[in-house]
Amino acid sequence: MTPSFLEIKGLTKNFGGLRAVNNVSFSMERDQILGLIGPNGAGKTTLLRLITGILKPDAGSIRFMGNEIIGRKTWDIVNMGIACTFQNMRPFRRLPIIANVMVSCLSPRAMKRGEWVKRLEAKAMDALEFAGISDMARERASTLSQGDLKRLEVARAVATEPELLLLDEPFGGLSPAETDLMAKSIKRLHKGGRFGRLHSEGPAMIIVEHKLQWLMKIVDRIVVLNFGTIIADGTPDEIVNNPRVIEAYLGRGEI
Amino acid sequence: MGLILFYFRKLFTVLKNEVLVLPSRVVVVFFFLFLLLLPLFTKDPYLLRIFTLTSIFAILAASWDLLSGFTGQMNFGHALFFGVGAYAAALLNRHANLPPWGTIPLGALAAVVAGLVIGIPCLRLRGTYLALTTLAFPIILMGLVFAFPDLTGGELGISGIARLARSRVADYYIAVVLMLGLCTIMWKITDSNTGIIFHAIREDELAVRASGINTTRYKLLAFCLSGFFAGVSGGLYAHFMRIAGPSTLEVSLSFQVVIWAIFGGIVTIYGPVGAVFVLFPLLEFLRFWQDYRTLMFAGVVLLILLYMPDGLFRWLRDKIEKECPRCKIRNVAMRHTCRVCTAPLD
Ligand SMILES: Nc1ncnc2c1ncn2[C@@H]1O[C@H](COP(=O)(O)OP(=O)(O)OP(=O)(O)O)[C@@H](O)[C@H]1O
Ligand SMILES: [Mg+2]
Repeated sequence: MTPSFLEIKGLTKNFGGLRAVNNVSFSMERDQILGLIGPNGAGKTTLLRLITGILKPDAGSIRFMGNEIIGRKTWDIVNMGIACTFQNMRPFRRLPIIANVMVSCLSPRAMKRGEWVKRLEAKAMDALEFAGISDMARERASTLSQGDLKRLEVARAVATEPELLLLDEPFGGLSPAETDLMAKSIKRLHKGGRFGRLHSEGPAMIIVEHKLQWLMKIVDRIVVLNFGTIIADGTPDEIVNNPRVIEAYLGRGEI
Repeated sequence: MGLILFYFRKLFTVLKNEVLVLPSRVVVVFFFLFLLLLPLFTKDPYLLRIFTLTSIFAILAASWDLLSGFTGQMNFGHALFFGVGAYAAALLNRHANLPPWGTIPLGALAAVVAGLVIGIPCLRLRGTYLALTTLAFPIILMGLVFAFPDLTGGELGISGIARLARSRVADYYIAVVLMLGLCTIMWKITDSNTGIIFHAIREDELAVRASGINTTRYKLLAFCLSGFFAGVSGGLYAHFMRIAGPSTLEVSLSFQVVIWAIFGGIVTIYGPVGAVFVLFPLLEFLRFWQDYRTLMFAGVVLLILLYMPDGLFRWLRDKIEKECPRCKIRNVAMRHTCRVCTAPLD
């Protein structure tokens, strides 16, 4: 039996008395796009942070392409091929947009894959082009709107040429038109191929999102988290009709 | 002959297209020329001495900017690198009889080791904790200096070190050329890909890690590079003053460096260098006013910090130049349209 692409077993994380992620187990394959949903505070961001090694779990294991990644440094994990975006955007505010992306282009993984690219700036530019903010390349990140910052997050993650991409609310703060664009970009990215000097591996993705109607159009599987525990796992159609999911959302007074 | 003419023409076009278009570049060229030509007009030993010391401290201030300004690793104990460079050069000269061109680079390497020694425990620290911890290291070393007076000369320091060069003018040129060269190298580093990562670490270290960059390695690199340049300056100081004493490790020197850098404008390299060239001679010339000297000095610094929070030289530069809103190229403030993309400047 070949090992799963990503295999999470018994993952648990406590913040003091609060169990943010509780005995979470699931696995996914190389070609999947997985939606991760749940009410506010369900532990979605925490789960992503555990995968990227920003947080250390209290128990459990995460195997990525057959290798245990718990205990590894965040940069090692990124260089193994897992990239992430931050829900609360963390750009390098006083640097131009292009420099923000060049940091990712300077990671060992991106450098090795782009050895043939003479000018890093050109590659960073292609990542910006992909995310649709190349016309603002010289602006400082502090001048960007919420929506553009989201796109910058995506450009930064894509520039490391990941095999697994973790997107934390990529549609957050975007207008319907921008959301549509972002959804198309994500689909295009998943198909893989070249975007100028940037190469997309057609990464597997885990997308955390509250805008369900958009998410449904992209993903082929949804995992629902509530109070840190997985309460449902299935195709989008199965999920919307699952009574436990409806209750979890209604129970908190939101739909 | 044709070749000379060719290079002459090339120099001229570079001058016309790259230098004369921006007043700040003209100022830098004049700064270089002034320092390099000064001894042709005056050989006044007092003046040359002041400018030699100014150059030495300019390297120190710029090296602080590289670590604390660019990489954001607040170092309140920068005198450590200076002191290590000075003592190492002095010891090597006295005991191994090495000449200055041997002791200064080796002293700088000793400061690199010091950079590693303080860099590793400081990797996990940030902000105030980092500042306080770095403050402690030169004090610890000072304690060691007093604990082994046979080796270090204790309070008196190590004296009788070989002169930097045979004459004052030669001393001057060694210090000035090294200062111009090393500061240019520092500026080049900050302008490189490594410099971008330094900037990014200052802005958001976690996001740099999540971009796949080994931040530990780059932070240590910043400590080592900064230590190297500060160590060169310490070694130069020891050979120029012909003494390496505990004053090179004093807390007041560490603070002095921070004041210089902030006064001139951090995250620039040129700011701290310019600041030393303003403040150090100023403090010397105020000497005949002994009683009020420090007070005047504090007054000047306070005024600048209050009215020019980004530092004197940033402020000046923004007065004479403005950035094109479209292509972000700098232009003379008098222009109405950008010199490259012709967008209107307002
Ligand atoms: N660093 C932290 N320290 C303490 N508690 C935390 C920390 N991070 C998250 N939490 C708590 O853990 C729980 C899960 O948070 P998390 O951010 O993972 O939720 P989420 O599902 O991403 O929510 P949202 O949809 O609002 O983004 C919340 O109750 C939160 O308050
Ligand atoms: Mg979240």
